[in-house]
Parts: sequence; structure tokens; C-alpha cells
Amino acid sequence: MTLRGHVCALALVLTLPALATAQAIFNPKDWPEGKRGPGAKSWIAERGKLPPFTPSRTPDGQPDLQGRWGGTWSGDDIEEIPIFLDVTTPPWESWVADPADGKLPYQPWALAERIAHREGLGREVWSKDPSKRLYYDPQAFCMKSVPRYSQRGYELVQTKDAVLMMLNWGHIYRIIPLDSAARPSSAVRMWMGSARGHFEGDTLVIETTNLNGKMWLDSAGNFIGPNAKVTERIRLAAPNVLDYQATVDDPETFTRPFTLNAPQRRQGAGGRGGANAVRDPYEAESWEHACHEGNGEHEKEIEELGFKWYLPRSAPKKSGPQ
Amino acid sequence: MNHAGSVRVFRCALFALFAIFVVTSALVPRVAYAQAPANMPPYTPPKLANGQPDISGIWQVLNTAAWDLQDHGARLGVPAGRGVVVDNEIPYKPEALAKKKENEANRATRDPESKCYLSGVPRITFMPFPFQIVQQADKVNILYEYNHTIRQIYMNGNPHPAGHIDWWMGDSRGRWEGNTLVVDVVDFGEETWFDRAGNYHSDALHVVERYTPISPYHIRYEVTIEDPKVFSRPWNLSAILYRRIDPHVELLEYECYAYQLENEFTKK
Repeated sequence: MTLRGHVCALALVLTLPALATAQAIFNPKDWPEGKRGPGAKSWIAERGKLPPFTPSRTPDGQPDLQGRWGGTWSGDDIEEIPIFLDVTTPPWESWVADPADGKLPYQPWALAERIAHREGLGREVWSKDPSKRLYYDPQAFCMKSVPRYSQRGYELVQTKDAVLMMLNWGHIYRIIPLDSAARPSSAVRMWMGSARGHFEGDTLVIETTNLNGKMWLDSAGNFIGPNAKVTERIRLAAPNVLDYQATVDDPETFTRPFTLNAPQRRQGAGGRGGANAVRDPYEAESWEHACHEGNGEHEKEIEELGFKWYLPRSAPKKSGPQ
Repeated sequence: MNHAGSVRVFRCALFALFAIFVVTSALVPRVAYAQAPANMPPYTPPKLANGQPDISGIWQVLNTAAWDLQDHGARLGVPAGRGVVVDNEIPYKPEALAKKKENEANRATRDPESKCYLSGVPRITFMPFPFQIVQQADKVNILYEYNHTIRQIYMNGNPHPAGHIDWWMGDSRGRWEGNTLVVDVVDFGEETWFDRAGNYHSDALHVVERYTPISPYHIRYEVTIEDPKVFSRPWNLSAILYRRIDPHVELLEYECYAYQLENEFTKK
């Protein structure tokens, strides 16, 4: 491939996230100096001002969290984005509420990995050197994991004994049994993990294990290990706002647990789609998003650009007796 | 034990098994097995709170239609099976039959399954993986373990959307006829097949599925296939869906394309 070909292909790959997912486009010229998009801090402040809210109950007596919910974080960097990276990535607050500094509390080896992931993305602001290309965001291959799925939004359906979450994006779903039935052994590793749920008052609590560690937290190289336990707490903060929280326990990768906080807003309730939700009877339907089927050219390009397949990361083995 | 001894024991065991088979065959009315679904007593499924018949749960076929919808013999890696096509005949137009045979001969590269694409309907039902039905008042969701496929069968009063749309899984609109869920599916592309034997369709495909619970553990699954570009007349499939009642049964993952891409990227 000629240099020109490389440049064109790279440009195409770099614009993929925006094109493939209809991500919002921001013009740096219209972005006020010093402005940050709202992340965990803004959401927690907003939540603090909401009046107390008691959700209605399903016929089975569960708090009714059903509906079509919009996504949480933008998918770029769950830590703070201090500068305009590109048109899809304006400055944004961190989605990490704990630790308070909004940084992921990586072990030293894991921070080195994260830095390498980011350098190796070849996104221009992070690395101008194509020879340093390492991994492309694994989500480009039409997969998701926990908690990253929540970034996209989903329809939540409750039955007597399970909670179902269906993403329109890539027809990803989770079926979360509302019991503590024995999980499969750790030999069973899944992109979406093994989830078990229960209600604590008005809050749905979901614990997920058996993840495979092959998905990043965002498109900037932040990651969790394959042995992470993710505990999500989801409640209705207001009629049209879900209060979403995910705590990651992964002592192999982090020095302490960390927590993400974000709102998920009811679709067709003044958000995207707004008035159309009333005018267009199909607005509340989830139409097919066949991701992989149209992705072949992109997959080939990512491979030709020299990106490798991301495999789960764990702490380097200590050599010799300690 | 020496070799001759083990052969004797083996023969003895074989004879015992044969004897048991003969005795039980004589005792059990064989006709009842052969025609079990037809002879089952009438069944009325329980109703959900919203009044719909309850067909929710985890289901799976127990046949070999994934390999071939029609009767087929065994070969390496392919179990023999009676087909699911009523009267076993698929009424291809002459030129279309030639393409079916060509598909079959070139299955390794042409079958959309070899690229881990979405299976289409009704092929997804016959894939050897479980699927779960979750009912809502205005739609029935079917979640398939294979490729985390979702089908949302709308019953919200909206007709099929206008115009032809190329979808892998089509556009599904459902209704209840008594205790039978009837699903009308159109808006298919040309890319999907019906099985691994090269049976195929065009974008004119129109599928009508009928899901009828016939016991707490069985659903009769009947399908009418119509595609005037490929077939000379509509034709029918009939199969049974079995409720998975194994302890701990739940949908796991079969992420076909993720495994395939990982192989592709990591081969050296």
C-alpha cells in the first residue's frame, strides 16, 4: 500500500467511531473556553437537587425501571478529557466519581499498559507515529462488555424472575436472573459476563463476574482485567432519569475499587427523538443494527494498519522466588 | 481379563441390551411415540397477567435441520436426520434448483454462516443453540444464544414499515390466534440461507411462523415460506421446540464473529 493509501485508510479508520455510531459532532469554534461536558460531578450535583422519588411497582412488586433508556458516557475517555481531541471528543468531565480525582486507580503495571494502549491507538493527538500502533478499540469489532454496554442505551424489561436489557447497538443483550443461582465456573468467560441481580429497596443491584477482559472501558485504552467483579446499582432518580452506578472490584489491576456514576435518560421524553416519538409510530421500535455484517472492510483495514487483537491483561508474573 | 474374556462380556452385554429392547418394544405402544405430537391431549397454556398465552422460557430444537432442512444421510461431522419440510419437497423453480446445488457445492465459502453473519429466519430457530422468549404486552422478544441475536416481534398495531428494507432478520409483526403466536416476517435481504445445504431465498421472501404450545414442554413450530422469485409455490416446515429444563440452564454466549476475528488477527 502506498503512503497515500495508508493516510487515506487511517483517516477512514479514525472517522469510523463517529460514522458507525452516529456520535455527536462538536465544532471546537463553538465550544466556550474552559467548558467541560457534564460527567459524574455534574450528574451527582444534579441528582442532589432532585426531589425524593418513589417509583411505581410492576405487578410482581418490583420497582418499575422499564423503558428505553439513553446511554451514559460518550465512549471516548471515562477519565477527564482536558482538551479538544477531535470533533467527536470535546473536553469532558470524568465519569469516575470515586476516587474523587476522577482518575482510575491503576496498579503501576496497569497504568503502563493503559499508556501503551493509548499511545498505540495512533489517534493523532496521542501518537503521530504509525509504527507504534498497537490495538484498535475492541468495540470496533461490534462487541460490548460490562459496564461499557451502558454507554449505548438499552431497553429494560422486567419479568418475575429476570431483568432483560436489549441494546439496539449490535443487538447486544443481557439476561440477568433475579436469583443467586450458582454461576458457571471460571472456565466460562463471556464478553457480557455472568450476571445475577436482586432488588435492594428501589434499587436493582447486578453483580457480574466471568468476564473475559477483552473489552476496554472506553475508546481511549482504559481497561479492566478478566477477573473483575462489576457491581451495578440502578434506580429511578426521577420519572425519566435512571441513576446508574457501576463499581469495579479488580485488585489485580487497581489499587482500590472505583465507581462510575452517570444518568440514563428516558428516550422520547424530551431527549433525542423528542417530538418525533409522538409523530412517528416507529420511533419507539428498535430496528436491526447488523454491525458485523457490514464491518468487513473496516476489519480488514484495521488489520492492514497493523493493529493487533486485544487480549486480556493481567499483572506480569513475578519471576523466581520472592 | 484376557481379550477373549472381554469379547465374551461385551457380547453378553449386547445380548442383554437387545433383550431389553425387544421386551420394551413389545410393551410400549410404538405408534404413540411415532405420532406423539398429534396424539397429545389438547393443551391450554397458562396465561400471563396481560392475558397472553405464556410461551416464555428457554427453548431449543432437537433435530438436524441446521445441516439440511430435508431428509439427509450422515457423513463425517453431519448427523443423519429426517427433515422438517412437510412432504420433504422444496418446490424450487428449475433455474433456482441449480443455484441451490451450486451453493451446496461451495458451502465452505458461500454459506453466510461461514462468515458468522446473522442467520435469518427461520434458520436461526434451527441453529443448535438455545433461545429465550420474553413476552411483553406489545411485543415478543426472542433472544438467541447464537451471535447474541435479538428478534423483536412487534404487536403494537404498527404494520410492516413502508418500502422494502434489506434486513438480515427481517421485520417481524405478531398476533395471537387463540393460543398460537403468528409472526409475519418480510424485508429480508438476499444474503441469508435456510441451512448448510445451500437452500436459499431472494429478497421477496415472506415467512409466516406459527408457535403453538402443545404441552408445558413443547411448542409446535410451523413455518410457511413464500418467495415467487425462487419457488413455484409456498411450502411448509414443521418442527417441535423443546423446553430446556436442565438444572442451571441459562443462555450463555456463542460469539461467532468475535472468535473468528480473534483467529484471523492472531494467526501467524
